[in-house]
This record gives sequence, C-alpha cells and structure tokens, in this order.
Amino acid sequence: MQRFLQYLFDGLSSGAIYALLALGLVIVYRGTGHLNFAQGEMAMISAFMAWWLSSHWLPIWFAVAVSMVFAFALGSITEGLIIRPIGERSQFAVGVAAIGLLLGLNALAPFAWKVTVPEAFGSLFPKKDTDFARIGGATWRYENIGILISLLVVAGLLFLLFQKTKLGLAMRAVASNAESAPLAGIKKGRVLMISWGLAASVGAVGGGMVASIRGNVDSSMMLAIFFSATAAAMLGGFDSLIGAVVAGLALGVLENMVAGYFPDIIGQELKGSVSLLIILAVLLFRPSGLFGSRRVERV
Amino acid sequence: MDAAGVLEVGGLQAGYGPVEVLHGIDLTVAEGEIVVVLGANGAGKTTTMRAVSGMIPRKGSVRLDGKEIAEASTDAIVRAGVAHVPQGRGTFTDLTVEENLRVGAYVRDDDPEEDVNHWLDVFPRLKDRRTQKAGSLSGGEQQMLAIARALMCRPHLLLCDEPSLGLAPILVQDMFRTLAQLNRDTNTSILLVEQNANLAMEIAHRAYLLETGSIVASGDAKEMLDDDAIRKAYLGY
Repeated sequence: MQRFLQYLFDGLSSGAIYALLALGLVIVYRGTGHLNFAQGEMAMISAFMAWWLSSHWLPIWFAVAVSMVFAFALGSITEGLIIRPIGERSQFAVGVAAIGLLLGLNALAPFAWKVTVPEAFGSLFPKKDTDFARIGGATWRYENIGILISLLVVAGLLFLLFQKTKLGLAMRAVASNAESAPLAGIKKGRVLMISWGLAASVGAVGGGMVASIRGNVDSSMMLAIFFSATAAAMLGGFDSLIGAVVAGLALGVLENMVAGYFPDIIGQELKGSVSLLIILAVLLFRPSGLFGSRRVERV
Repeated sequence: MDAAGVLEVGGLQAGYGPVEVLHGIDLTVAEGEIVVVLGANGAGKTTTMRAVSGMIPRKGSVRLDGKEIAEASTDAIVRAGVAHVPQGRGTFTDLTVEENLRVGAYVRDDDPEEDVNHWLDVFPRLKDRRTQKAGSLSGGEQQMLAIARALMCRPHLLLCDEPSLGLAPILVQDMFRTLAQLNRDTNTSILLVEQNANLAMEIAHRAYLLETGSIVASGDAKEMLDDDAIRKAYLGY
C-alpha cells in the first residue's frame, strides 16, 4: 500500500506536467486543428525566460508569471506570422513548419542566452528534505502537491474562461464551426491568435514547473515530456480539456507504476515508452480517445 | 424602386481562385423588402451571398445603407448589420441551442438574455431543447436555430441561403411562413436564395433570375409569376 501510494504521489506530479502541456495542445487543436509540435519547446524557451528574469531581477514566481506573458506573445505571433500564412497554402506544411519551429527553438535557447550547461533554476515550492507530508507511510512532497494544485488552478481558470466568458464562447464557436464564426461577427484571426497564445502560456506554467523540479533549465528539458503530453492529449481525445487533465494525470501515474513495479524490465529508463505504446493503442483502437467528440455530421 | 436601398450591389464580380463565377451583377434590396434570387445549380446564387458578406474576394460595389462595404471583412459586415444564414451548416453543433443564440449576439455589447428568450418563444421547438447541443437537433430545428442565431444581432438585412435545403415539404412551408412573418413584424429586409422557386416567390416582393453568373431578368414577384416565358423556364410549370 505504501509503495502504491508513493508511486501514485510521484505519478500525479509528473502527470500534472503532462496535463499542462496537453492542455496547450488541446487548445491549439481546437482552435486551428493542428498538432503543435513546438508546444514543448515554447515551454522550454519560456522557462529560459523565467530563469533569465529570476537570475537578474525578479522573484521566481513573478518571473514565471512574466514568462507566461512572453509565451502568450510568442504563441500568438507564431499563429499570425507562421501558422496561418502557411496554412492558407497547405495544411500539411503547417506540421512541417511546427517541426521546424521545434528544432529552431531548441537551437535558439542556448544561443540566445549564451549558455552551454544547464543553468540553475530556483524552486517554486518548498523543497527542503523535510518538506513533505506523510500519508499511509508514503511521502508526498510539498513540491509535488504544489504542482498538482497549480494544474488544478490552471484547469479551473480555463474552464471558467471557456464556459463563462464571451471570449471563451467565441473560441468554442470557432472550434465548432470556423467557417461560420465570422458570420456571427467573430474576428476569427484574433481568436486563433489568442488560442495559440493561451496554449503557449499554459505551457509556460509547465515549463516553469519542470525547471523547478530539475533545479535548472536546459534546452532538452521538454523533449521527452512533450511526447508524453502528446500521448496524454491523444488519450484524452485531443479536443477535450477535461480529457487532457484526466489522461495526463493517468499517464503520469501509469508510467510511475510500471517503472516502479517492474524495475528490471521497464524501470526509469524505459518508462517513456509507455507513452508511445499508448499513442499506438489509441490510434488503433479508439481514435477519438476517452473524452473526444466523435465528429458526426448530417449530410 | 425607391432610393432607400438597404443593399445596393453594382457590377459585382466574384469567384474562387482563377474562376470567375459572378460576371458583374446588379441588385438592390429596399427597406422592408423580401427579394429572392432564383437560378439553377451553379448559377452563382451562393456565390452572390458569400460575396455580399465578404467571405470571398470580390470586385465591384456593395453598399449597405449607403455605405460601401465591398472592402470590409466579414465580421465588420456583420457589425454593420448584415446577418448571413449560410447554406447547410449554419449552426455551431458543439454548442447548446442557447449558446448558439448567444454567439449570434456576439457583436452586441448588452446582455442578450431578452432576445434569447424572445426567439425561443418564437421557435418553441428550440425552447424545449435550450440546453441540448445543436448537433442533436433535427435538420428543420437546426435551420430554425441558424435563422434565430442570425437574428440575434438585430440585422438590417438578413441573407438566407437555401433555407429549405434538406427539409421535409411541410417544414419548408413553415420556414417560408416564418420568414414572411418576420419581415412583416420586424421590417427586416431579406435577401433570399432559393431553388424552391414557387414557395419563395409567394413571400417575395421582387425577384431576380440568375443564369451562369449574370442576371437575366428581374421584376415584381407577382408579375414574374404571370410571365409565361419566365414561369416555364424557371418555375417549371
């Protein structure tokens, strides 16, 4: 039982990070129908921004907040300047452009900040050896609890945005019927830029959390996490926010359980492969995921 | 034709990519008028509507209440008072009936609650399904919803693209009755595109005949119904 709880607690925090990234993927997918391959690298760049700000001027939490604003600008400019103009010519090319962006951002971070080794990143949560709660014999570190709470706060705010505000209604209208949205007077281009900006902003929270756990920033920090987040988004149904949260947490827990209970076969080294198996299984057996809407249209 | 044209289209050319579909058409809709554009498949009816509401590139003049809108974007044209019910998918299927109506009021700054309730009273079938997703509605209900959604922005001009498409005959009659009543009650001008010529002509004040992108005849709806040549060619009896 103690072992189970330990894997659960550890899994929930890595799952919360997958969920944060997956939420960004879902917001983009609902807006423009693309898988943003650069979602993880946008979060990495944002974490670098937070590191840079915090190492020079700002308290760490404030630095992460500013990095979210930076990410919003980065995301919306990407949509307006790269994704939309390319998408008007070829939707396939957008995927290629997003992969290009992944590689470009990955190379840009060390170059822009002139760093070659991982740079130390402050902690967002109490992180001393004694900072944990003991539940059923297992330790639940305050850091891990904090990450989980951060996810729930972000998801709750997104829910309020989408369900209770006029902007959220416009975003859902564009997601549901992009062609007719302008006929209701919605500025579609602006909504799409906001969607991409918002997605990057949510990703920046994830990037900050990852940097905080690692204790440093590094250009490769989000690569493996992005794959797991993609698997979570697919498992959740790709167009469902609640799906992204549930599947992200579930995937994090599953990875930790598998790695923990089969240390010799899977272990920490191979636990990332769980994500790949899940991507495969979802594509083969349930393409609409757990919470996704199967698109049925009257003809 | 009096001078108070809500919509005045002059020399309108439009198409898709290199293909020109409309070869410079002129048409007007006066205050409180129902005008129908008739024509066969591929004549350019839908293209006319899309060009007026700025969904496709166009040349020529489109004036709304005397103001040129040929250069304006679709959302700006909606703000200027044109509501467009597109052919087929005019609803947001993932949103509830009520949310669809609220999306329709997107350009308004006030609380649309009163209008939501008003149109739900006008269309009682929608009222029963207020919290259902629009995608779960029948074709007729969806078309009603699309029209109610369009009216939520309180337009001066309503563009209806084949509202009868895919509806059972009895529903088609309902639909036209609703449009005629709406026109009488609210004095909303309506530009209607239809293949179902007979019923459309009954509620219309004037009509245009569109043939391969050009207007070949126009006039008072009743007079055109009485014209044997036109009736035979376009109404089929």
